[in-house]
Amino acid sequence: MTEDDEAFVKVVDVLKEPVRIAPDLTIRVMAEIEQFPVPGAEPTPTPLRFAWARRRLTLRLSPLGALATAAGLAAVVLAGSRIAAPGETSGLQGAGEAAESMRPTQFVLVAPQAASVTVVGDFNDWNPSATPLASANGGGGGVWWVTVPLPPGRYRYAFVVDGTTWLADPEASAVEHEFGRPSSVVTIGGA
Amino acid sequence: MMRIRWESIVFGISMLLAIPPAGVRAQEPRLGGRLPEAARTQVEEILNAARADGLPTDLLVTRALEGAAKGAPSQVIVAAVVRLREELRTARAALGETASPAELSAGASALRAGATADALARLRRLRPTQPLTVPAAVLADLVATGVPVDTAISAVLVLAANAGDADYVAFRRNVQRDVALGASPSAALGVRLRAVEDLASPGQSTGTARGPRRQKP
Repeated sequence: MTEDDEAFVKVVDVLKEPVRIAPDLTIRVMAEIEQFPVPGAEPTPTPLRFAWARRRLTLRLSPLGALATAAGLAAVVLAGSRIAAPGETSGLQGAGEAAESMRPTQFVLVAPQAASVTVVGDFNDWNPSATPLASANGGGGGVWWVTVPLPPGRYRYAFVVDGTTWLADPEASAVEHEFGRPSSVVTIGGA
Repeated sequence: MMRIRWESIVFGISMLLAIPPAGVRAQEPRLGGRLPEAARTQVEEILNAARADGLPTDLLVTRALEGAAKGAPSQVIVAAVVRLREELRTARAALGETASPAELSAGASALRAGATADALARLRRLRPTQPLTVPAAVLADLVATGVPVDTAISAVLVLAANAGDADYVAFRRNVQRDVALGASPSAALGVRLRAVEDLASPGQSTGTARGPRRQKP
């Protein structure tokens, strides 16, 4: 084996050794590359105050952390779905449309012995405390009334006297006692 | 360690928000605390089905709340909501896909009173562009007054061509007043219908051009 051959073998041995690459080589190379302008693209001056918005961010997550993040996102989506539900079940009319076509509707009951009268119906979710009726002198006159703005539609309702006694409106059409207590119905035209 | 780019996270969140996960159903918050849990679950299922059919769910919610406010048993509430959903579905088939929730509500009332889907469809054909809320409601009210269903349907259809909402309301009020004074429902309706027909001349509308007015229930 000549000297040249020995030198050649040494070079080959060196070349056969595995190349050791620094763990952060990819990151450093990509960081260098990203500093070069994109070919063909006009350089866009970025205002200093928005520089943070264009800066690339890198998050490092362990598999466990990624799982926790995904669970958190799913919880946010679930909560969002529940909040969105009422909007999907839009009622008699959209809010804007309803506001335009509201009709003041007066509910009147003569109840001389009553200490309090409220009206419950489709327009207030049948909430006994939502719409109390007023009286001229604390009920002494016996005439109770309230005016409720309603959009066009057909509404079932009833009066609740002293919080316990349910009464249909004697001046309005009655509906069947589907739930064992009386109700009346009023129709507001226009839609 | 996994490396995740910020853009990927933003994209992922956007996709998650845009596409609701399967199995997630909207819930009606107004039912919370008002209905027993078992009834609420069943009513929510009915609402989801109605929502999928494009029916107005607010009417179903208020019917359930009415039952709850009146202290009705759960099974009665659920049955009432199911019944109303079927009536709304039939009303929409008769009145058309463009029928408003108010029209569907009134149509459902007319169906419950005994009107047929065909009668509602004929009403729509006679008044293709006018709201049917009041005519359908008057039909239901006339039947509730004691007028036979067929007679009430005929009267409402006769009025349909020319009468406005105010005319329908006045017609119903007059019939109810006559009945309250002792007339038979059929006779009262016949007299009032003839009066309307006598007033109407060919080509002249009996409808009035009144604007919105206060209505006393």
